[in-house]
Amino acid sequence: MSNGKTKPSVLRYWPRLLFLVPFVAVLWVSSYNRIAPELGGIPFFYWYQLAWILLGAAIVLVVYAIETKVTRVTERSETEAEASGGPGDIL
Amino acid sequence: MTLDLTATSVFVALFLLITWLGFVAARWRKADLNLLHEWGLGGRRFGTVVTWFLLGGDLYTAYTFIAVPALVFGKGAMGFFAVPYTILIYPILYIVFPRLWEIARDRGHVTAADFVRDRFGSRLLALAFALTGIVATMPYIALQIVGMEVVIGALGFPAGGFVGHLPLIISFIILAAFTYTSGLRAPALIAIVKDTLIFVTVFAALVIIPAKLGGYGAIFASVPQEKLLLAPPSGDSLGAYSAYATLALGSAFALFLYPHAMTGILSSSSGNVIRRNAAFLAAYSFILGLIALLGYMAIAAGVDKNPAYAAGFTQYGPNFAVPALFLASFPSWFVGVAFAAIAIGALVPAAIMSIACANLFTRNLYKEFYRPDCSEADEARMAKIVSLVMKIGAVVFIIAIPQAYAIQLQLLGGIWIIQLLPPILLGLYTRSFNAPALLIGWAAGTVIGTYMAATQGFTSSVYPLEMFGVTVPGYAALYSVLINFLIALALTPIFDRMGRTTGSTAR
Repeated sequence: MSNGKTKPSVLRYWPRLLFLVPFVAVLWVSSYNRIAPELGGIPFFYWYQLAWILLGAAIVLVVYAIETKVTRVTERSETEAEASGGPGDIL
Repeated sequence: MTLDLTATSVFVALFLLITWLGFVAARWRKADLNLLHEWGLGGRRFGTVVTWFLLGGDLYTAYTFIAVPALVFGKGAMGFFAVPYTILIYPILYIVFPRLWEIARDRGHVTAADFVRDRFGSRLLALAFALTGIVATMPYIALQIVGMEVVIGALGFPAGGFVGHLPLIISFIILAAFTYTSGLRAPALIAIVKDTLIFVTVFAALVIIPAKLGGYGAIFASVPQEKLLLAPPSGDSLGAYSAYATLALGSAFALFLYPHAMTGILSSSSGNVIRRNAAFLAAYSFILGLIALLGYMAIAAGVDKNPAYAAGFTQYGPNFAVPALFLASFPSWFVGVAFAAIAIGALVPAAIMSIACANLFTRNLYKEFYRPDCSEADEARMAKIVSLVMKIGAVVFIIAIPQAYAIQLQLLGGIWIIQLLPPILLGLYTRSFNAPALLIGWAAGTVIGTYMAATQGFTSSVYPLEMFGVTVPGYAALYSVLINFLIALALTPIFDRMGRTTGSTAR
């Protein structure tokens, strides 16, 4: 390691275990390959997977929030980026 | 079909707008475009919003918008695998790529091949990366042209012959010119227009079309029962279930290995920009999921039975489903907007893909093997020329060669590109693998994956793997990359014992 800091323990990445949830949810095909219950005329197979797009994004946001605020594993790159939080980072 | 003048005028007007944008982009965030990382990576300065538009415009291509609903239209539920696929790409993007971005920025990597060259100290492995990247991307660019051809044909331009290809050739000349002058800044700026048009089109489609067809209940009721769900496993075969899941998983792992995806990622301004986009890019996935449903709307609207579109279906097959649906549902002027969205949706990824290939060629072939002492300006000049050659090549490819070959090559491209996964993943987290082992793994994976596709006559990438008396049909890319990884794992200790070094340990 070039910067004398100690390497963060792998345990600090625990929020990323949440990512297992969408993998199980969409790869376990037999659990959702059915018509009922329908939602607004859309069979379960379709609205379930569409819903998981949004849930998947929510999980990413949650992991990002925890890593930024609690475990601080994203901190290093935050300080390295020149204009982090400034317009350069947003636009 | 006769030429639809209103739609064509709107289409051409929007095309002129993005042409102008493409050229002014050279002055956007002004910098020296004679440096490769400025021309080819936009100076690594794109923040969350621009990266969102750029990656959205880059990954959700015109071909996706035509082919995914076409697949649902033709094959039903199986075509919906694009949805779980786009759900799984974001955890992968979040975990893997901010780390790659950091290393690439610190060590000045422009391509994935630069990364493995540095990480494993192997010119040959980098060469394998560059060749795989270029070969897998070429048919991808060609397929963007297929997407454009379909909408240009749907506007009523005569199909076939030189006149038929003329609109296409003109748009690619424009594309080549602004990519040459502005580099990655051009598609980044145009992507903002493209994505806005796509959002407007999809929103309108979802408001207008279901209302015309009597709601979603009526739409799904008109779809043949056997298309609505995946066929459940029967006998000793897992059937459609394993195919669906492995296609989603394999495609998700392959996506960000494509050079154009890598270029989009490396052009962002920080690891956190990538992390945020791993959440926000899902908006495009949602749009894609809704677009997939357009395939069923096309069935419900009965466009394939409408004599007005018979010629289009004969010419373009199921790919004509969405254009026909738009023609049947929208007023002319809005057809122009929708088709422009798709055509511009072809130009953005085509530009980024040609830039990405140009970066690979220049950095990892030209500079590495031919002119190691070339100046930075030479490097950028070479990349600009190669980006031109890539686009001319793609146009010639699509005009000279039957379209089916482009589709088959793109299918193979997915199998080839995923073979880059072990060196990238292992390179990020460990240095204990050695380059010859990875190289042999790559070669074996490529050969076995190609063989699996060959057994299916190159028409399907789903290979019926026999395991313990059970048939598990699955994505050949996933099976072959597993073999690739296992070989690298098994050979590494053997080569290490033979006294080889494990490459660069700079980090």
